[in-house]
Amino acid sequence: MAQKIVIDPVTRIEGHLRIEARIEDGRVAEAWASGTMFRGLEIILKGRDPREAWLMAQRI
Amino acid sequence: MERSMTLAEELAVRGISRREFLKFCTIMAGVLALPVDRAEKIARALESVRRPPVVWMHFQECTGCTESLLRANRPSVAELVLDILSLNYLETIMAPAGHAAEKSLHDTIKEGGYITIVEGSIPTADDGIYCCIAGRTALDILKEVAANTAAIITVGACAFYGGWPSTPPNPTGAKGVKDIISGVPIVNLSGCPPNADNITATVVHYLTFKELPALDDLGRPLFAHGRRIHDNCERRGHFDAGEFVEAWGDEGHRKGWCLYKMGCKGPVAFMNCPSIRWNEGTSWPVGAGHGCIACGAPNFWEMPAYEPVPIHVLTPPTTYPEVEPVKEMSPITAGVIGAAVGVAAGVAGAVAVSQIAKKEE
Repeated sequence: MAQKIVIDPVTRIEGHLRIEARIEDGRVAEAWASGTMFRGLEIILKGRDPREAWLMAQRI
Repeated sequence: MERSMTLAEELAVRGISRREFLKFCTIMAGVLALPVDRAEKIARALESVRRPPVVWMHFQECTGCTESLLRANRPSVAELVLDILSLNYLETIMAPAGHAAEKSLHDTIKEGGYITIVEGSIPTADDGIYCCIAGRTALDILKEVAANTAAIITVGACAFYGGWPSTPPNPTGAKGVKDIISGVPIVNLSGCPPNADNITATVVHYLTFKELPALDDLGRPLFAHGRRIHDNCERRGHFDAGEFVEAWGDEGHRKGWCLYKMGCKGPVAFMNCPSIRWNEGTSWPVGAGHGCIACGAPNFWEMPAYEPVPIHVLTPPTTYPEVEPVKEMSPITAGVIGAAVGVAAGVAGAVAVSQIAKKEE
């Protein structure tokens, strides 16, 4: 019998992660991982002084 | 039961000596800019305190603030903080995950009276979908946590005003806690990241005096944000003498001259970094040869990091050398300056006379 489990939040990591898994006969048949947080650094960095990129990118 | 133990008992169990504990209290008195004899009061208060419950919320963050606290390498400070507090929810280090982790949070919220620490900004665009934990948005979670908390401590620039995620064009509508929550005491420990000693000292102040430390108009503790970096900088003498680094690695840079021309924001930054320093008090950014980026100031990412900041109000040219010394002065320029000085003296004189007149009235 198929069963679906969700682990959200995944702890002891940096950032936000969600795991969903479909279990069949006690084994993981399919699994999905999602990062559940977005800030858009790539969008923010566009057009900025390149000398500053490291300052911001190191804070991801 | 573990939660009914006082800190004094906790310390005894964990083998932290009384000498070490008093040393910690004295450091905290120092960071809080209190007289040294207050260390005794801090010690007495902390010894009898029951560990208050704390939830540490992570939203749009890089965990740098958590790292700043957890990697504090002043002997046993981090351990002491973890002993003083009952950290019921902190995703980075807690053992439970998923439903079990959320249960810890919900149980704490139900009991109430906890301290909330917030790290990271809160996205508000598109109904807050850019940060979700356990299927709920950061916006919803923050409102629920704030409703029953005793106080909120925001750590870092993001939870303070939105930090770099809120930098134009702010794709996710990121905001700080103070822009969303009202009616709850909020203290903003700004900085990117804040200094571990300042985080600890704020908690210690709350436990000792049963109130948050005195704040400035931005809700930042005065003990950490009351003084200008420029006024306490070890390179200040070079600024006053007109000795500036002109290029990375030049002679002035090797000699430790002033970094103002390289974009140092010390003149507009209010932080205690020059006094308490980082990495066990060994150094700080300016000490290491890079300008301050004013990471404790609101919207600091909008100040170009490598361009000099305007500081004319701080440097009366009659007292300090010019940043760009005038090598040769034409008679016309000298005349113009002379006239300007004359006018200024005239105005000052008139003001002084009117003040004397007022006094006499």
